[in-house]
Amino acid sequence: MIGAVEAGPRVSFGTIDLLLRDREMMVAKIKSGNVVEILKTMTLTIAVAMAIVGAALGSYRGGEQILYAAIKLPLVLLGTAALSAPALTAIGAALGRKSRLASDLALVMSALAFGALLVVAFTPLIMLGRAMEVSYHEMILGTVAVFAVGGIAALSMVIRALAVEQGKGWRTALCGLCLVFVMVGGQLSWALRPYLVRPRTPEIVFVRDVEGSLFDAVIGALRSARGIYDRDEAPVPGLTPAFDFDLRGPVSSSDEVAP
Amino acid sequence: MSVATVPTGLTRGIDATRLALAAAGPIAIGGVLALRAGDPSPLAATPAIVFGIAAATCPALYIAIAATKQAPTLAGVVRALGTSFGAFGIALAGLVLPALFLSLSSTSEITTFAVCSVVLGGAAVLAMVRLAGELAPKTFMGGLVCFVWAAATLGIAGRLWFDLAAEVLL
Repeated sequence: MIGAVEAGPRVSFGTIDLLLRDREMMVAKIKSGNVVEILKTMTLTIAVAMAIVGAALGSYRGGEQILYAAIKLPLVLLGTAALSAPALTAIGAALGRKSRLASDLALVMSALAFGALLVVAFTPLIMLGRAMEVSYHEMILGTVAVFAVGGIAALSMVIRALAVEQGKGWRTALCGLCLVFVMVGGQLSWALRPYLVRPRTPEIVFVRDVEGSLFDAVIGALRSARGIYDRDEAPVPGLTPAFDFDLRGPVSSSDEVAP
Repeated sequence: MSVATVPTGLTRGIDATRLALAAAGPIAIGGVLALRAGDPSPLAATPAIVFGIAAATCPALYIAIAATKQAPTLAGVVRALGTSFGAFGIALAGLVLPALFLSLSSTSEITTFAVCSVVLGGAAVLAMVRLAGELAPKTFMGGLVCFVWAAATLGIAGRLWFDLAAEVLL
């Protein structure tokens, strides 16, 4: 070929097909060591799949929220995977499991891509909910259920792959991965919220102002449940921003909640 | 591996990279705490706690397991401790980035303290488990010695860590 340039591994639709049809074979392919092509393919799969899901969720409000959610949702999943996958390798290696960062990263990314593809498969139901003007809270519950299905599918793929391997300390490493994933994923998705916004919300923001972490919010909710309040009163839409800023930051008239 | 077959070379089997990670890990966690507190003292104090407590208590472990009459050789104990420190370092290496992210994205100092404590404590527990696996005590007394030593070491280090965090954060 004239002017042929040596190219790196390409994104392969065959790999995506293999992931959907035969995950045991997929795990064997990861163990064979050729993970660069798998990583590229899975990264692109997650990015595209989550962008589609984000756009579908954003369409509940419409307008620029479609673009915002389509950008943010892939960032949440890819960022969480990048920060969490090394924990699987590190904890396993600490307990004597043969450490393979690239293979573990490929396994986690493949499992997340599988989960993301399953969530994409539910997108028509999300759009149906939008078309039937399902209530906001029902949409939230439906979205949580869809993501739960994808998450359980991804987790089961990781568990099966590690169980077959039977390396030292794989259960502890798996628990560590889950813990880190939940904490990092929860915090990252909290920081980049909102994704699903009420249709009547007049103003849309790309991300909310920093209001502390998810864990701060949980601690605050627990304190409130015990009757210990940090504010004199709850913020009410319509108050002047200057007044409310003193309490907890400027009030946005949006009352959206992250799914 | 049986006690009789423990290699006699003091440093055989100890991974230098992992030991370097073990040295850098506590500094990194101290750095996370220092970033939140705006006080550089945890950068030095955290590794001082980790290595100071380890240096102070490791001889006691050797004496105690030797007294059970089932002890590995000195070389075997040193190798097991080296492997354990390596495990501590590699575990910290995998957990530092999530800890940094969780700490910096939170507005609460308690979150930083909790995250850093869980990461350091978790890595220490993993290292203790690895140490017990390497020493492989075969008697009840041997296992008890390992457990009591681990509990005492974690208790002392935990108390010093708590005092350090309370001083710089609260």
